[in-house]
Amino acid sequence: MQYVADLNAAKTTGAAIEIDRVSHVYAGPEGGVPALSNVSMKVGAGRFIVIVGPSGCGKTSLLMMMAGLRDHTEGRIDVHGAPMPKPDPERVGVIFQEASLFPWLTTFDNIEFPLSLRGMSKDERRRKSQPMLQLVGLTGFGERYPHELSGGMKQRVSIARGLVQDPPVLLMDEPFAALDEQTRMTMGHELLRIWETTNKTVVFITHSLTEAVYLADEVYVMSPRPGRMIDHIMVDLPRPRTYEMMATDTFGRMRDRIWQQIRKSH
Amino acid sequence: MKYWHIILIRAAILALVLGAWELAPRWGLVNPMLLPPLSDVLVTLQIQLARPTVQEAILITALEVIVAFIIAVPIGAAAGVAIAEFPYAGAIFKPMLFYVFSIPKSIFLPMFILIFGIGFQQKVAYAAFTTAFVVLMSATAAVESVKSDYILVARSFGATPLQILRRVYVPSMMPVLLETLRISMIFNFTGVMIAEMYASRTGIGHLISNWGENFQMPQLFAGVIMLSVVAIAFNETVRYLEARCSTWRT
Ligand SMILES: Nc1ncnc2c1ncn2[C@@H]1O[C@H](COP(=O)(O)OP(=O)(O)O)[C@@H](O)[C@H]1O
Ligand SMILES: [Mg+2]
Repeated sequence: MQYVADLNAAKTTGAAIEIDRVSHVYAGPEGGVPALSNVSMKVGAGRFIVIVGPSGCGKTSLLMMMAGLRDHTEGRIDVHGAPMPKPDPERVGVIFQEASLFPWLTTFDNIEFPLSLRGMSKDERRRKSQPMLQLVGLTGFGERYPHELSGGMKQRVSIARGLVQDPPVLLMDEPFAALDEQTRMTMGHELLRIWETTNKTVVFITHSLTEAVYLADEVYVMSPRPGRMIDHIMVDLPRPRTYEMMATDTFGRMRDRIWQQIRKSH
Repeated sequence: MKYWHIILIRAAILALVLGAWELAPRWGLVNPMLLPPLSDVLVTLQIQLARPTVQEAILITALEVIVAFIIAVPIGAAAGVAIAEFPYAGAIFKPMLFYVFSIPKSIFLPMFILIFGIGFQQKVAYAAFTTAFVVLMSATAAVESVKSDYILVARSFGATPLQILRRVYVPSMMPVLLETLRISMIFNFTGVMIAEMYASRTGIGHLISNWGENFQMPQLFAGVIMLSVVAIAFNETVRYLEARCSTWRT
């Protein structure tokens, strides 16, 4: 109930996530390690946001903070109008890399894990996980264990697990990094299809500039550590995106712009 | 290779070994005084098992093994988990424990005899001492085998610490825990046997060592068979459980 109200709040202010001058310093053996410096961003509800930046610039840290999994030193992060002092699966679903499935659980049980934490009955859980399995295109694989699935399939399970509680916001930290190039493209395409049918707000981190432009409504570019936002690019390619768009000039120009920003900042 | 082929070949090898044990002494290929025929040993085993002294010895050894195990496992496990969970304690104690772990524990046996005498307590104390180290090392490995990713996933879905313990740590550690149980029982059993054979007035180890010294070969081999059967039975039971709950392991 509470998050329905929050959803409405998001509609009125237009922001699903609001990050206001966030800085973070990790405690280290020789004083602090500054990881983020004065980061601000405003993510509209239902938007697909991609964050790119060099390794170690604080992308994961920022995402963990949005998920309520890590504290920040300074600034404010609101998700649907309220801060995230601890994880709230009703507001935010996190999708990790493929290795994060529990190997001792079947596909069904992995997807239902978040529901089982809340003591939901087995029948009810299955009623919710079945459509998720179908959504990610894995009907018939419910009783398999992760080691019986390919990398791409595991990632589909992981997405289904992140969606099963129907949170309005999905956070994804380099979810396809471990996949081969082809699977990665297919998964990106699949993700867009799922996103278009579910109306989620997505924040997606990647190293791949092509992936960034292909997926995003908006791309944020971060500087090397301590991470700052150095560019914000609107990707105004039409939806649904097609593979052919990658060959267009517009696509190439946007990818170049991101690349220049990253190069300049070193 | 088909599975039943392997079973068949194994059975054939076993039959061959047992057959050789029976026939080689009878045909005079080996000295029957050193290696009595299998059938003689089995008859002796039956007679020995019926003797009250032997039954008492079995009971005492079993008690020593069980008590030592019950003492060693919780102590070793608690210390092992503490070392894995508190990096500070780990940094201090881990190297020391690894050093001590590498020393053959039997050289400490004379000290245990000085402190505890040669009775029940000494067997239990020595076996528990050797076993606790194994449990400690394995428990540390078990905790460290739980990937931090799993904990992060569970936390992101709002799992409480208790839920993380029950739903992530326990299933994730289960294969390693059973393995620990199995290996530590081997060490535990060995500890009791060595202590009994070194200095004791009772127990199976003591009987075996006596039979050996008195050149009573049929009795000695009967004792070996008896112990082997018990040890293998325990080992296989735990291995069966292990296989059942680690189908997901790749
Ligand atoms: N828990 C932590 N404690 C101390 N330093 C950390 C911790 N997590 C990350 N860092 C440091 O903060 C910086 C940013 O890390 P991270 O957010 O993982 O970057 P990215 O995901 O962009 O590669 C890195 O230099 C990293 O070493
Ligand atoms: Mg990262």
